[in-house]
Amino acid sequence: MGCSSSLPDRSTGRLGGLNVSESGGVADAKNLRVKLVLLGDSGVGKSCIVLRFVRGQFDPTSKVTIGASFLSQTIALQDSTTVKFEIWDTAGQERYAALAPLYYRGAAIAVIVYDITSPETFTKAQYWVKELQKHGSPDIVMALVANKADLHEKREVPTQDGIDYAEKNGMFFIETSAKTADNINQLFEEIGKRLPRPSST
Amino acid sequence: MDTAASHSSSSSIMFYDFLDKMRNPASLNLVKSIKSFIVSFQFSSANPENDSERVQEFFSTMEAAIMEHPLWAGATDDEFDCSMEGLEKYIMTKLFSRTFAISPEDVRIDQEISEKIHLLQSFLRPEHLDIPPFLQNEASWLLAEKELQKINAFRAPREKLHCIMSCCRIINNLLLNASISENHVPGGADDFLPVLIYVTIKANPPQLHSNLKYIQLYRRQEKLVSESSYYFTNLVSAKSFIVQLNAKSLSMDEIEFEESMQAAKLDSEVSQVEALQAQMDPISSTKMHGMKKNIDGRSNYPYMEAEPGELTVEDVERLLSLYKDVVTKFSSLCRAVRHPSATRTKPSLPVPKGRDDILLQLEGQSQIIPEEKEEVHKVKSFPVKN
Repeated sequence: MGCSSSLPDRSTGRLGGLNVSESGGVADAKNLRVKLVLLGDSGVGKSCIVLRFVRGQFDPTSKVTIGASFLSQTIALQDSTTVKFEIWDTAGQERYAALAPLYYRGAAIAVIVYDITSPETFTKAQYWVKELQKHGSPDIVMALVANKADLHEKREVPTQDGIDYAEKNGMFFIETSAKTADNINQLFEEIGKRLPRPSST
Repeated sequence: MDTAASHSSSSSIMFYDFLDKMRNPASLNLVKSIKSFIVSFQFSSANPENDSERVQEFFSTMEAAIMEHPLWAGATDDEFDCSMEGLEKYIMTKLFSRTFAISPEDVRIDQEISEKIHLLQSFLRPEHLDIPPFLQNEASWLLAEKELQKINAFRAPREKLHCIMSCCRIINNLLLNASISENHVPGGADDFLPVLIYVTIKANPPQLHSNLKYIQLYRRQEKLVSESSYYFTNLVSAKSFIVQLNAKSLSMDEIEFEESMQAAKLDSEVSQVEALQAQMDPISSTKMHGMKKNIDGRSNYPYMEAEPGELTVEDVERLLSLYKDVVTKFSSLCRAVRHPSATRTKPSLPVPKGRDDILLQLEGQSQIIPEEKEEVHKVKSFPVKN
């Protein structure tokens, strides 16, 4: 099964698959390219959110990525800016927590996800917020995402707790459901709007 | 040098195209710049950060020069990029011995990581990293391991990075297939990283630290971005996890972890001594000289100063009996440590930490029990569970 992937493939000759002009972070003022890191306990649905976002706006011209832990997706904002999100997933298990700085270094956006049915994951989300405030880039845009909103009968973290915590920490807050696709696109559009624009020089 | 690689054909076409262009008289000025850059490197002492900066700067300078060069007039982005890849390969192949694993510190770290992985290999199982059974696929893992193990077959940073990408691609295929056949929600990095760590431990890729450092420093900067950067970071992350790995890092009883590490250490000592003895001419072997140094040049051990030419037939007999003696003592020691019924209550059980200790303990004893030689082979084939 894995054989095909070790065979020569001319299209993989160019690693990363990016145009020279496109690389190096921000491409130009109208076409942003940003690194987004996903943090949160394992099982909160980090990768489901991304898969939903990427599949929901399937772009046949976009280069297919090799896995579900790195994905990229471009969206157009109302002001005719495009934002290409390069989404870096992180392993949420506790034993890998110390490795997170390797991933969030240089990220413009951190999306911190918890599961509304699990208070422990909300606690873990708060841990990530503090960690990023201490060690992340000072102008990183942070979003707090309460996922699995479709499971309201099992809810254990009140919406208001998420809102309050996000407000206190100057973050954008949204409740999503990767299962029903609720608020998934809104999440990324809101993030896009909040991105600092490169000066128009 | 590329023959081992699956992607070598496209890679060499790219490279030969670059060389062809360089042979064109019109590119004489470029060739001169390249040559003088390489020569300038030979006259300065190694300093990885500084060297990296110089090389990256040179890539940028050359990029600008090539862009404006008549030979590349009308070239597509792809053709242009191929030339830059050719340049990277040419420069880094020439500068390889000057830039790869250059500091004693790097050599030491490589050695330490490799030794630690070697120990872990003897007892680590996928369950210890909570890798679920449906992701356990020996065949895929083996393919992924082979990709990582190829890394030293190449000198160009791009090709080394390609080995990492291929390894990650195989793991991703496995995850994708597993999620389809098991109807499991794709786990993203939660699934990917543990498998990559496990594969890295199984592969024990040569000079892991130095290879990562070299790619980081000398891969053209605009190419170590996006997806390549992500998967590269994952291997850096796996390395970092392995370096920091202790009893608390795994889903494993802490005492069991410590005991397994001790047993693995001893096992590796046995293999080393066996390899030594297997040379049949141990006195002249370099390892024997090393051992002599280890025990402070003491001459309680016969033949330590001897040269092969001085040995007589009687000496061979005596050496054989000494060899048997050493092996016997060693295997008894191994058994003692392997069945440490007392370790949990009495952690002070004397566990030999290194060859010196073992030799010192053997000192003064010379009983010969040749039958027990078998035991060593049992010890050597200490079960390796996947």
